[in-house]
Amino acid sequence: MAGWGAPFPGTFLPLRGVPDAVVGSAHSDAAAVLIQLGLVFLVLAVLGRVAARIGIPSVPLYLLAGLLMGAGGFIPVSAGEEFLEVGAQIGVVLLLLLLGLEYTPEDLKVGLRTTWKAGIVDAIANGGPGFAMGLILGWGVTAALLLAGVTYISSSGIVARLLDDFDRLANRETPTVLSLLVMEDIVMALYLPLMAVLLVGASVAQGAIAAAIAIGVVATALFISFRFSNHVSRLVQSHSRELLLLGVLGLAFLVAGLAEAVQVSAAVGAFLLGLTLSGQVADQVRALLPPLRDVFGGIFFVFFGIAIDPRDLVPVAIPALILAVITAVTKVGTGAWAARRVGVGPKGQWRAGLSLVPRGEFSIVIAGLGVAAGTNAQLGALAAAYVLMLAVSGSLLMRYANQLPVPRMLTARDPGRGTPY
Amino acid sequence: MEIFETPLPGVGVRYEFTAEGGDHVGVIVRRDGKRDIALYDRLDPDSCKGTVELSESDAGKVAELLGGTQITARLDELKHTVEGLAIEWITMPESGGLTGKRIADGQIRTHTSASVVAVIRGERAIPGPEPSFTFETGDTVLIMGSDDAVDRARAILTG
Repeated sequence: MAGWGAPFPGTFLPLRGVPDAVVGSAHSDAAAVLIQLGLVFLVLAVLGRVAARIGIPSVPLYLLAGLLMGAGGFIPVSAGEEFLEVGAQIGVVLLLLLLGLEYTPEDLKVGLRTTWKAGIVDAIANGGPGFAMGLILGWGVTAALLLAGVTYISSSGIVARLLDDFDRLANRETPTVLSLLVMEDIVMALYLPLMAVLLVGASVAQGAIAAAIAIGVVATALFISFRFSNHVSRLVQSHSRELLLLGVLGLAFLVAGLAEAVQVSAAVGAFLLGLTLSGQVADQVRALLPPLRDVFGGIFFVFFGIAIDPRDLVPVAIPALILAVITAVTKVGTGAWAARRVGVGPKGQWRAGLSLVPRGEFSIVIAGLGVAAGTNAQLGALAAAYVLMLAVSGSLLMRYANQLPVPRMLTARDPGRGTPY
Repeated sequence: MEIFETPLPGVGVRYEFTAEGGDHVGVIVRRDGKRDIALYDRLDPDSCKGTVELSESDAGKVAELLGGTQITARLDELKHTVEGLAIEWITMPESGGLTGKRIADGQIRTHTSASVVAVIRGERAIPGPEPSFTFETGDTVLIMGSDDAVDRARAILTG
């Protein structure tokens, strides 16, 4: 990083001709922002260690930290809030960019072909309860649809990481689990722009037209990514890691911003760009970006928590608990059913089901969409409570899947597989 | 042996096969080049008894070890030919040929113009053995000469 030693303007350069008071206040502001951000990051660092030590994902702890900060919390974060807000946006873009990079277009094609049925069952069984709960709480259709998204999508971040940690990548049920996650991500690429349109509050006819446009944009982007993947990748390719990073981040923010501008949602723009990048560039970016994603992703979860007053959690605790129990069961059912269809035995079906229970980053991304648009005051708190419950308990269920007795239902209906293989 | 291939979206590819002994084995080739070897549980064939994670260079070494016997077998056959000069390793048979006889008895140099350069017995190398040297079963004999001469020398040595 030679050449970056020059002092940042405004902090160290003598400001000639500027009244002392202005310099003084700008200076103390900068100090306050830096100190608060420093504290926020240190809290995240400590919590990350705690999470790793006790073997749970860091997402719920980051959320918890956010809840305890800011409005109604113990630690006021006022000066750094602007940075956190932008950081949270960047976090979403990076989360989705890397999610897109995880998959090759080939993965998506195979996923669509082999698991579309399970994907539909998954969407109805797990989105349904969320939608119903939203209506029962009297939220209106748009907010209920957002809650459906929150309860539908499993956390591919948590699940993929834990599958590796628990040495289950080679297990026979694992391809089923992974392809269901792929399916959910494909569904999300269509769901997010649709929601973006609905959130603008258009009439049904306007909404339908806008939805058609959104789907058209996504389809075109997918076509481009399948077709011109090499060209886009060559655009940002560089042997210098610095230049590669600048190129990829620049392209990601640009695409995300443009997508947001035409109401396809920044997240989807980043996801599609991730799918488009391929080959060597994709490999390099996959190695380079995760730390950056984890930092800004952490900021995103904290920021989401900061915006919620912990006292708001009390009234939504019961609905969140009910929803967590129901959708944990439906998720286990979906996973077990999908695994059985490809001939996995009862124990494997049980593990596949339990592996899909954790909800995490994308539930928060979806809820964040609604919070930003101001749909319903309770949505953010409910989603936070829900994710806190299922991220932790889902990870624990996954860890102890082999020790938990397989439910009678799975063994009883097992289509007699003669030999083990 | 039939090898099944399953794509693991976002991870890589899984290959699995059943060994002749009945063990079910899986190999995951990750996109970043890492490999996992997994041994499936016979009681719960969907899960693994254990997995070994190998870096790319680990995997290369293991592959060398596993393929080792084939490589030696091929080395035995290997013939270096450098413009009319052939070098060959010949393993002495259990009986027949010159096994149990002295180098002088074979009169290899006289008959073929090839020469016995060295003999390897177990871990020990005997460079330039005397004419009175006696061959034993399993000795590896290094001979050198023209292509033709080496072939004829082999015939004398192994009978």
